[in-house]
Order: sequence, then structure tokens, then C-alpha cells
Amino acid sequence: MSPDARRALAGWGGFLVLVAILPLLGVGSDRYLMLLANVMLMFMALALSWDVVARTGQLSLAHGAFFGIGAYTVALGHKFVALSPLLGMAAAAVVGFVIAAILGAVTLRLRGIYFAIATLAFGEVLRTVTLQLPDLTEGPIGISMPPLFDGDRVASYYVIGVVFVLALALSLGVRYTRAHYAVTAIRTNESVAAVMGVPVVRTKLLTFAASATIAALAGAFYMPFITHTDPTDAFDVSRSVASLAFPIFGGIYTTAGPVIGTIALRSLEEYLRVTPPWKEGYQVLYGAVIVIAVLFIPRGLVGLGESFRRGAFLPRKGGRAWRWSR
Amino acid sequence: MALVEVDGLVRRFRGLAAVDGLSFAMDEGTTLALIGPNGAGKTTAFNLLSGLLAPNAGRVIFRGRDVTRLSADARCRLGMGRTFQVVQPFAELSTLENVMVGALFGGRAGSVPAARREAERLCGLVGLAEKTGWPVSMLTVPDRKRLELARALATRPALLLLDEVMEGLTPAEEREAIALLTRVRGEGITLLLIEHVMSTVRDLSDRVIVMDYGKKLAEGSYAEISRDPKVIAAYLGTDE
Amino acid sequence: MEALPQVLLFGLLRSGLYALTALGLAISLGVIGIVNFAHGEFVMLGAYVGFWLYLGLSGPLGLGPEVSPLLILVGVPLSAIVLYVVGLGVFRFTLRPLLARPELDQMLLTFGLSIFIVNATAIALSPQAQDAQMSWRFELLDLRIASVTYARVASFAVSMGLVIATYVLLMRTRIGKQMRAVAQNRLGAHLIGIPVDRVYAIAFGLSAALAAAAGVMLLFTTQLSPFLGLATILKAFSIVVLAGLGNLAGVVVASLLLGLSEQAVSQYIPDGAALRDGLFFVIIFVVLLARPSGLRR
Repeated sequence: MSPDARRALAGWGGFLVLVAILPLLGVGSDRYLMLLANVMLMFMALALSWDVVARTGQLSLAHGAFFGIGAYTVALGHKFVALSPLLGMAAAAVVGFVIAAILGAVTLRLRGIYFAIATLAFGEVLRTVTLQLPDLTEGPIGISMPPLFDGDRVASYYVIGVVFVLALALSLGVRYTRAHYAVTAIRTNESVAAVMGVPVVRTKLLTFAASATIAALAGAFYMPFITHTDPTDAFDVSRSVASLAFPIFGGIYTTAGPVIGTIALRSLEEYLRVTPPWKEGYQVLYGAVIVIAVLFIPRGLVGLGESFRRGAFLPRKGGRAWRWSR
Repeated sequence: MALVEVDGLVRRFRGLAAVDGLSFAMDEGTTLALIGPNGAGKTTAFNLLSGLLAPNAGRVIFRGRDVTRLSADARCRLGMGRTFQVVQPFAELSTLENVMVGALFGGRAGSVPAARREAERLCGLVGLAEKTGWPVSMLTVPDRKRLELARALATRPALLLLDEVMEGLTPAEEREAIALLTRVRGEGITLLLIEHVMSTVRDLSDRVIVMDYGKKLAEGSYAEISRDPKVIAAYLGTDE
Repeated sequence: MEALPQVLLFGLLRSGLYALTALGLAISLGVIGIVNFAHGEFVMLGAYVGFWLYLGLSGPLGLGPEVSPLLILVGVPLSAIVLYVVGLGVFRFTLRPLLARPELDQMLLTFGLSIFIVNATAIALSPQAQDAQMSWRFELLDLRIASVTYARVASFAVSMGLVIATYVLLMRTRIGKQMRAVAQNRLGAHLIGIPVDRVYAIAFGLSAALAAAAGVMLLFTTQLSPFLGLATILKAFSIVVLAGLGNLAGVVVASLLLGLSEQAVSQYIPDGAALRDGLFFVIIFVVLLARPSGLRR
């Protein structure tokens, strides 16, 4: 293991200890804070998994859709065979992986724009179809089930914590193994990567399927956590938007970026949601963040931090006095 | 048995045939030069061979196997390496890491440290030993050509397609490159080169194919080709 | 029941607006090489411009049934001009700086724009759907095969008129020929002295203007809401994918195919609503599955 990898593992190990003892620090008894902590971990997992797909140069607009697939796997399992939530999560992981593999096999051989278009269409078609199959899905009314661990938010926190650890492991694994060289080569130039022997389609496919599995697990957790799902909520595009806005704001292609981005933006969202005139339009923030970050801070907060450390913000002789990013 | 056999390759762009029924074969350990005026279809032929383009007709047989439908990365792992005329290093990786990609996925390096060692060796071989940690954006054009070659060699090719590796080099650098390629050939690697510099073609190749308008115009030794009136008319006669 | 002629008629009428929306998308994709996820929002903004004009005409001016033709004669050009300018601005300040950047960044940008415009509209105006209750939505025109509303006929006629006008522009005018040249070969176009940057800007403006015109015509048949862009753009995407990227001529045929098959599914398959509304995805999926080699780089 390289020194870089060892340092990263040590750092994230420390972070995980912090995450693990958080409920013991007086937060555990506050139901609102625990709700927030559960949701934070869930969105961190979504953001981390979205970023892994982005590292191959692909834009996934289906993370919300796989979230919905996870939610509906648990819901349908409960409705038809009285499946327990935890077994439902396991089933959701399998379903998510398989569906992503099929969708990916068809779209990832082609130019990236097809993948982006197909993933966007995928989420919308799932919403439309679940709405119109009431025999199976109860249509717009949706499906309800009893709360996870009878509403014990500390217990559920550790469940979503496991999903977060999986997402973290995926993100770090892609960064500190040979996969890093494969995804970086593919992202920079797919043709050249191919003639260097990088298995382009297989790498993109596995990355996407692994990532979609995490998203499905997040949805499978969320459904019993809030005890209800319906097509509009389960396949809400806003979750796909959040999955990508967080990493872009925090710093794309990194592990710290999605985590930092989630903490910063999700906290802000929590405030805006209850503050007029934003309310449901709080997503305007995500749109603005994406546009501004792509245009002006392509490496996000993490990139800004690095530039700062390297002294890029110090006034320089000649040229522009201040330099943004890189 | 021939190492590579190309049979009736055709590739059209908007109805226009860039490669039009190209056939040839190469034995292991030989060196073949592909020459012809600009737009003759040489680079398209390379793209068809390496699998970046699918042909409209024809077959490519490599090591006795029909690879026509195989992806570019599968062909690379079978032992087909190539360089690009317009060098395209992975900008986010260092010089060494660029070479490591080839060693890890096209070559036989089983682990990242093994790939690092292999890449260091190859960087030394092509003369990039002092620049392994550099970002590729800082490399000069000749250095980028060296990197391009090191990357291709890292994939451990049996057949190496070289697309104008000499372009932009000074005469001294060119002599160096010829010496390097002679060494590569000495290791038993079969070379197929697209080349404009005639002295290089003469010094390196066993055989020459002249392409014009996507077709094979002539094939033979350098001496035979340079006497061929068709070739002189179509190629040597033009102000190349 | 003369089902078949009716299916053909209604399918045809459906396809007009599809073609108009998809053509703009195909132009930005073919000429500039950018996937504009905000194209549906241009349609939505265009519809709002038309809606305000409608409110102005029918409210203070107290125009009654005459408002429908006026909305076409004044609203379509007005909305198109407004969105043309918006398109130029969006291109100049957000897309142009990204042209040399990876495809992922460009797609993220237009997707971010889309999210921004939708929600900014929802905050500034109202997230609720609104309705322009135009008389043409209810007045019927007897076409012998079936009676159809004036609204459907008008939206088809105006759409096809604009689509044909756009093709004439592309085939006959200097800027149109330049656009096609750029679409075929960027570098070559640059080398023979075509001002590629300017062509990009105009193409993007044109694409937004076509979207705006489609938006105004959408008022005749659909409720207006900040969120109507998504459904619009997904159908447009399926048309563009079916036609083949950058294939402008194929857009009309592909639109007709989508319109007809949607109509046929509604007519012949009982409870076919799920399938009809999911048809755009079926098309995308099947096209990508069936001809991958034709879609490679």
C-alpha cells in the first residue's frame, strides 16, 4: 500500500470513529438531529457513489431512479411476501445491481451523451410506469409499511452507516487500487485508454453497477425509515440532482469532496426548505451551485483548499493577483 | 503462419471510401512501412487494425484469430500495441503513471508496484528517466513522442503500430529514435509503421506498402518501390 | 369505427409539435455538439412569454375568441425573439467557456441550468399549473375522418410551417450552410474561414427560438407549469436518438413515428397509458440496443 493510501485510510478511519460515536455525544436523544444524521449519511452514500461513475467520465442522471428501485423493492417485498426491511435491503442491492448492469450494457458501449440521456429517461419512465400500474404499486397512493426498528433512529443510523461505509470503501477502492488508473485513463481519453488495454466497457459497467447498488441500498433504507413511498417521491429527479450537486460543490473525483459537499449543501437545504420564498424551490440553489461550480471552481471546495495550501491565492508579481482553482 | 493478416478491409465515411479493399500480411519479426500521400487512408487503416473503427467489410486475423469484431482493448491484450500521430497523453496523470496504464492493463504487470517498476524501466529506455514525475503538460513534443512509444511498449505488444513517431524530431533525435526502434525490433517485436521520412523507411523496413486513395498501389522492398513508375507518379512525384 | 384513419390523423397532429421541439435540440447537438438538457426549459420559458401576452390580450384589452390567432401571429415571433436573445446570452456566458472542456462538464452545466431555470421560475412565479383557456381548445373542426379541435390543427400547422422554414434556412441561406458545414466537420469549417464561434452562437439562439415557438403552441393544448420541460425534452431526446444524432432530416420522420405509435398504443391497447407514456424510453432503449455500431464515435 502506498503512503498516500495509508494516510487516506487512517484519516477516514478517524472520521468513521467520529460517525460511530456521534449518537453517544448527546445527539442520540434528539429526534430531529438524529433524523438529520440519518439523512446526511444517506446522501453522503449517494454522493460518493455518483462521483465514482463520474470518474469514468459518465454523467449518471439515474441515481434517483436507483434510489426509487431500492425503495420499491422493499415496499413490494413487504406488500407481497412480508419481507423484513433488512432482507428487503439485501434484495434491493441485487435488483439494483442487475438492472444497472442491463441498462449499462446497452448504453455504456456508446458515446457518453447516450448514457446521460438514457439515465435521465430511465428515472422518468419508472415514475410514469409505477404511477400507472395500481395493481402492483398502488399507483399514486403509494405503499406504506411499519417503521424501521419501531422508529428507533439510533438503530437505523447504524444501518445507513453500513451503507455509507460501503460507499466510502467503493470510493477509496477506486482511488487507491489499479482501478484509479483505469478510470482516469478512460475519463481523459477513451480511445487511447482502449489501445492501452484498459477494458473500457467492463470498467464503466462495473463502476456503474456498483454505484447503482449503493443508490438502491440508500432507497431501500429510506422507504421503511420514513414508512412510505410513492412514485413521485421515490423517483423524484431532485435526488439525482442532489447526488451530483453535492460532489460537484465539494470536489469531483475525490472522496472528501462528496462528503464535504453533502454536509454543506444539505445543511443549507434544511434551512431553506422552511424559509420563504425558497420552500420547495430550494433546488434553485442546486442548479446555481452546479452552474457556478462547473464554470468557476471545477474542482470544488477540495480543489479550492488545495490551491490555497499551495499558495495560489497569494498575490503574485505580474499577471493577475488572484487565481481561482488549479 | 503470418502474425497478422488483413483481408479486403473497407471503411467508408459518408459514402467515401477512406480504405478501399486493403489486404496484406506480415510475418513475425518483420517490419513493414505504410507510406502514401496525405489522405491515402493510412491512419484509417491503423484505426481499423487497432479496433477503434469498425470496418464496413473485410477481416483482420491476428495470431490466427479473427479479431475483426473484437474491441480495441481486447486486441491490445492479445498483443497489438499502437501509438498516435497526434500524441494524446492522459493529462491528469504523470509521465510515469501514463506508462503504468499500459503496463497494468495491456501488459503483464500484476500489481501497481510491478507496473511502476516496469514503467520506470521503459522511461529509462526511451530517455525519460529524469522526467518520470513530471506532469505531461510540461513535456516537449519530442518527449511526448518518447512517452507515446514507452506507453505502447508497456503493453508488451507482439505487433506495434507506429503512426509517424519521427514527426517533429531533429535529425539527431531521429537517429536516436531509429536506434531505439532497431533495438525494439531486435526483441522480436513486429513493426508496422506509417512514415513520411524516406530515409527512415529505407533504414528500418523490410517491406513497403504504398497506399493511394485507400487502395494498395504497390508492395515490395524499398528498392523496388522507389523504382516503380506508378509510385513515382502518384507519390514521389507529388510535392510531399 | 374507422379507427385506423383516426389513429393516423391524431398521430400526425401529435407529431408536429414533437418535430418542432426536437429540431431545436438536434440543431444544438448537431452543430455545437452539446447536449442541452435545458432545452425543455426554453420551451417552458417560451410558453410563459406567450402566456403573459395572452393575459395581456385577454385581460386589459378584453379580447375574446380573437385571442387565439393573435397569439400565433404576435406571440410566436415575440417569444422566439425573446428566447433567441436568452439563448445567445446563455451560450456566450456559460457554454462558450466550456467548449474545450470535457463532455461531462458541458452536460453538467446544461443540466444545472435546467434545474436552476425550473426552480427559479417556480419561486418567482408559482409552482402551480396555470391554464390559458383558449376558445380554440374546445371549438371543433370537422375533418370528415374525425372532428378535431382548432388547437390541435393550429399547433400542427404552425409547427410544420416553422420546421419547413428552418430546413429552408439550413439549405438555402449562408448562415444555414455554414451551420451544416460546421456540423459535418468543425476543423474543416474553421480552416475554410467560417466563423465557427459566431455560427455556434446563432445555432444555439435558433435552437432556443424554436423551443420558444413550440412553447407558445403548447399553450393551446396543455397546462402551463414550470415543470413541463422534463416530459417535453425526454420525448425530444427519443426523437433525436431515433433520427440519429445530428441527422436533421430524420427528425420529422422520427417525430411522426413517435406520434403515430403513441396514438396507436392509446387506441388499440386497453389500459395502454403506462406504455404510451413510457414509449419514449422504449424507443431510446431499443435504438441503443439495435444499432450500437452506428452510434460509436
